[in-house]
Amino acid sequence: MQDSTPFSFTLVITGAPYSSQAPQSALSFAAAAIRAGHRVDRVFLYGDGVQLASALASPPSDEPHWPREWSSFLEKHGIPGVACIASALRRGLVDEGEQKRYELTASNLLAPFTIAGLGEWVEGRMSSSRTVYFHGSD
Amino acid sequence: MTEIQTLHILNKSPEHPRFARCLSMAGPEDGILLIENGVLGLGAASARASGKLMVLAPDMAARGVNGGAESAEIIDYERMVELTTRAQQVISW
Amino acid sequence: MSTLIVIDQPPYGSWAGREALDMAFSLAAFDQPVSLLFCGAGVNWLRKGQEPGTIRQKSVEKNLAAAPIFGVEALLADGDDCNRYGLEAEQLLDGVTVVQADSQLFTNYSHTAFAG
Repeated sequence: MQDSTPFSFTLVITGAPYSSQAPQSALSFAAAAIRAGHRVDRVFLYGDGVQLASALASPPSDEPHWPREWSSFLEKHGIPGVACIASALRRGLVDEGEQKRYELTASNLLAPFTIAGLGEWVEGRMSSSRTVYFHGSD
Repeated sequence: MTEIQTLHILNKSPEHPRFARCLSMAGPEDGILLIENGVLGLGAASARASGKLMVLAPDMAARGVNGGAESAEIIDYERMVELTTRAQQVISW
Repeated sequence: MSTLIVIDQPPYGSWAGREALDMAFSLAAFDQPVSLLFCGAGVNWLRKGQEPGTIRQKSVEKNLAAAPIFGVEALLADGDDCNRYGLEAEQLLDGVTVVQADSQLFTNYSHTAFAG
């Protein structure tokens, strides 16, 4: 018996692309959730997961470009993608605002990802019907 | 379809300390879903898991794992999504 | 809607535990009930007398001492894992409750999460 009640998901990715499978698994899960008629409220990148939002990742051309695949998926479905600011700044991932604030030489945040605090995760935890985490496997 | 209390998503290889901890903390009303490197522990989990055991097909196929699945349900991402909506709680290890 | 944040990695050698602590403090800051469970090598967070100035890191002992002030409801430690690392009750930080981490424990919480 199929339960047809739509659910809403917050997905949290803590594993980095190219050092873990987490962003791939999360993308497959998100696509399946949408196909099943559910909603993905937001994707929150935490810890090493923030590297998924780097505009500077340049994998070999015969490998999937996971940051771009995620970026186009988020844009296509209008899903907010948020990188945790504390995780991002420590790991050298900044938007233009943070670039100016810290007087850095460049910014590297891939649109449509934004940078925000853990409050975004707390909000997702409270408002989505399920929060599912995708960790690295080391 | 039987309901599950907690869905444990286990992506660690059997060498990882979290693998054994997940198996020991999963109760008989729970489901354990092996994904990513976790599928390599299918044999170990079959012998020790007290809850319902499931394994993600694309991760099995990728690693050439096909033995030890007799006691596990082989599922796709659609079914994984459905399981997360049916479990009371989802824990990713 | 109580959340259990699990720390199973030792302090200083990796960042995942600190990021788990930040998650717990954030929930508490939004008045969401949250407890921390230390298990596996994570119980080493709870040892008294840490002096990480020697490796130019901030003391997690001080962070943890602030947890009740920030509104974290409980600091739980798995008893078997404390034994494994030779941690006697008097060596543990103040305010730690020793428990048995089993499937029953999870049923007290609506959410359980690792930081990575």
